[in-house]
Amino acid sequence: MTSKVLVALRIKAAPLRVFEVFTADIGAWWKPNALFSFTPRSPGVLAFEGVSEWSRLVERLPSGKVFEIGPVRVWDPGRRLVFGWRQASFAPDMDTEVEVRFEPVGDETRVTVEHRGWDTVPIEHVARHRFPDTVFLQRHAEWWRALLTNLASRTAMDIKGSAREGDA
Amino acid sequence: MQRAALTSALCYRDAKAALNFLEAAFGFELTMLIEDNDGKLAHAEMGFGDSLIMIGNEWSQMHKSPASIDGFNTQTVHIHLDADIDAHCERARAAGFEILMEPEDQFYGDRTYRCRDPEGHFWTVGAPIRSVSVDEAEATSGLKVVKGWA
Repeated sequence: MTSKVLVALRIKAAPLRVFEVFTADIGAWWKPNALFSFTPRSPGVLAFEGVSEWSRLVERLPSGKVFEIGPVRVWDPGRRLVFGWRQASFAPDMDTEVEVRFEPVGDETRVTVEHRGWDTVPIEHVARHRFPDTVFLQRHAEWWRALLTNLASRTAMDIKGSAREGDA
Repeated sequence: MQRAALTSALCYRDAKAALNFLEAAFGFELTMLIEDNDGKLAHAEMGFGDSLIMIGNEWSQMHKSPASIDGFNTQTVHIHLDADIDAHCERARAAGFEILMEPEDQFYGDRTYRCRDPEGHFWTVGAPIRSVSVDEAEATSGLKVVKGWA
């Protein structure tokens, strides 16, 4: 799969913790971007349904309907997560994939998101907003960077929360 | 994400190779990479400390790597370290960088070295080792400090 964006960020927590926040708390740190909505009725709230391989990433829409963004292809807690990523407007032969890697660096985790396969979505397709290829990918990369920053903030909140519970 | 007001963007003939050798030599970390439909690098950013650097191809007729213009450089990037500069230099050497000037103490209080990466970009690296007064700096260098000595 070509036509990809890769974004990486260090987060002050252990890989397993970051993996847990990424998956279990995605509804809290995920912020929608109007340019990249999954369905015309978005935004909803994202969630991983199931907690292992064969689970799926969904968007629970305000209407109560559930849209499947993609199946989980690799679920390796603290190390690697791979899932499919489709918008409702994609034709059957269009598919993109997100791989997230969690690597320990000292007492931090380097989280790398690789979103690939945009070559399967033609530039004239509605999902691409008629942006030239590199502009579209740049906007997408900036969104992922903002999302990882949210993930970092959420992880920091979560650690403070756990510390308080530990103190009690 | 907080961004520095100034960011350098460097051109390489093989930008993907540069991402690898800059990580090996200096510990820069890839923070963004965008590839087009042909799998070619369109944009890349690497982070170091509180800064970032952009790594790109020779993306127009007027953008060249030193490797394409007989090794000439029109600017250099300086790395400010708060760490062991001699170890930094050894790491760069081990990654195949040519050391043009071995680590040396400078009159202004930094220890510095200079190197050239595999495509010919010059890099200077400095770490503060002592504070030097204006009077001492002027006396040892023969220069006149006009403005901006901390």
